Amino acid sequence: MTKRQAAITALSLALSGAGGMVFGQAAPNDQFVSKEEYNKLLQRYEQLEKHVAEIMRKSAGVSMPQASATPPTNYVSQAVFDELKKEVEETHSMAKNSFLGTTKMNLTGYGSASFISQNHISQEHGGDRKFNAQFNPLFLWKLSDKVFFEGEMEFELSGANTIVNWEQAHLSYLANDYVTLDAGKFLNPMNSYVERFHMAWVNRLPDQPLAVYDGLLPETLMGAQIRGGVPLGPTKFNYSIFAANSFPLSSDNNGMLDFGNFDNLGQNFIGGGHVGFLPIPQLEIGYGMMMGQVDGDAGNPTALFQSADLNFVQDSEALRGLLRLNAQWVWSHVGGYAYTGQDPFHNSRDGGYAQISYRPNKWGSPFLSKLEPVFRFDTLRQKDTPDNTDESRYTLGMNYWFGPMTVLKFAYQFDHNNGGVGHNAWLMQFATGF
Amino acid sequence: MKRNHLFFLCGLALAAAALIFTGCASTQQASGSKLWAQNCTRCHNNRSPASFSEAQWEVALTHMRIRANLTAEEHKAILDFLKTANN
Repeated sequence: MTKRQAAITALSLALSGAGGMVFGQAAPNDQFVSKEEYNKLLQRYEQLEKHVAEIMRKSAGVSMPQASATPPTNYVSQAVFDELKKEVEETHSMAKNSFLGTTKMNLTGYGSASFISQNHISQEHGGDRKFNAQFNPLFLWKLSDKVFFEGEMEFELSGANTIVNWEQAHLSYLANDYVTLDAGKFLNPMNSYVERFHMAWVNRLPDQPLAVYDGLLPETLMGAQIRGGVPLGPTKFNYSIFAANSFPLSSDNNGMLDFGNFDNLGQNFIGGGHVGFLPIPQLEIGYGMMMGQVDGDAGNPTALFQSADLNFVQDSEALRGLLRLNAQWVWSHVGGYAYTGQDPFHNSRDGGYAQISYRPNKWGSPFLSKLEPVFRFDTLRQKDTPDNTDESRYTLGMNYWFGPMTVLKFAYQFDHNNGGVGHNAWLMQFATGF
Repeated sequence: MKRNHLFFLCGLALAAAALIFTGCASTQQASGSKLWAQNCTRCHNNRSPASFSEAQWEVALTHMRIRANLTAEEHKAILDFLKTANN
């Protein structure tokens, strides 16, 4: 080999080595894996494959809800769920009610401010022209699902004093669906006006009707009663039966009874009841009676009290409003008795009221819907007694309702008193219930 | 006078009877809202269901069950209605 050939060969070898070095550096490492890396990846793949297989095997045991005719066995029906929910709620309620100190109390009641201006006012014939106010808080206490207490106080102004009356305080036991036992001082169940309508925000006129209120029947009784309502096909009737302390004859010797005296000094009791029949929900026809010996210094004559009532209410499109009709007639008779300073007389009295009111709430006028015209006739007849009067009144009224339980009442009353002086009157009352 | 009063009361009774047939419904299967309207309106205006909480309605309705001689069924239906309507 010549020097020239040896130099060319050495240059070629040097170039090929340099080329190989250049190409070796230019080839990217992420496009090739080593055997070791390959084996590692293969191992990882096999592990993942096993994992997926395991997940699929487990998920095969749980079926997804599908719209099929037969529900899956591991699901409960809506009815069963509702029943269970009801049971849980009832159990929760029972447990809650059994706790001490979980009774529920509610303070409600009503209040009113009134104005009266009568004509023919004199010392001899009486009459009033004054403002007055009254407040009746009502304490309602639900001691359990079966036991309930109701208490009512009355605060009323009289001259310079405030009169506080204990109106009601009675405890009720709801024996079953149709029977409630009740004892204490309660509203007279045979007097439907007193039980239902005497509250200032319920009564449609500023004053109370003759005979039924502060008249021929007691407003409250001290005793015990059984009462309830019973459905009878499409109709319904309600009832109350009671026994209570008797009353003394008034010290005025005019044959009236002192219904505000609950001492029962004569140790006598009166018994009675009321039954109401509702042929349709809008109408109730009732009858009540009460009888027993009353207390007098010269003996204990027997007294009989009766009451018939009719109450109708209809709220309809045909009437374009709400119509109310309320009527009650009461009779009172006290048997023979020798009254001090009086000739013998037939101690029988009667009287009552009939009232109609209309609320035009379907005429499309917000103002009209708040108005309520009222008319009432009421009378008290006791011409055969020492009182020697028959009084009849015709009252026209207009109410403006600020809300369902707040009302401003205006009325004018024509009073005819056969045997006395009639006092026509302007009446006004602002009343609210809460 | 006595006769006039009798005529007056008879007139009222007849007027009520005539109105009964202008549009009355049966008490059977009445809903809570209907029973509420029927039984409460018989004596007074109905206060809004929202004016009392559920606990207050429980007390008030028990009071009315006694005073208005409601049956247990009527009481429950009205109470359920008031509890759902007072929100």
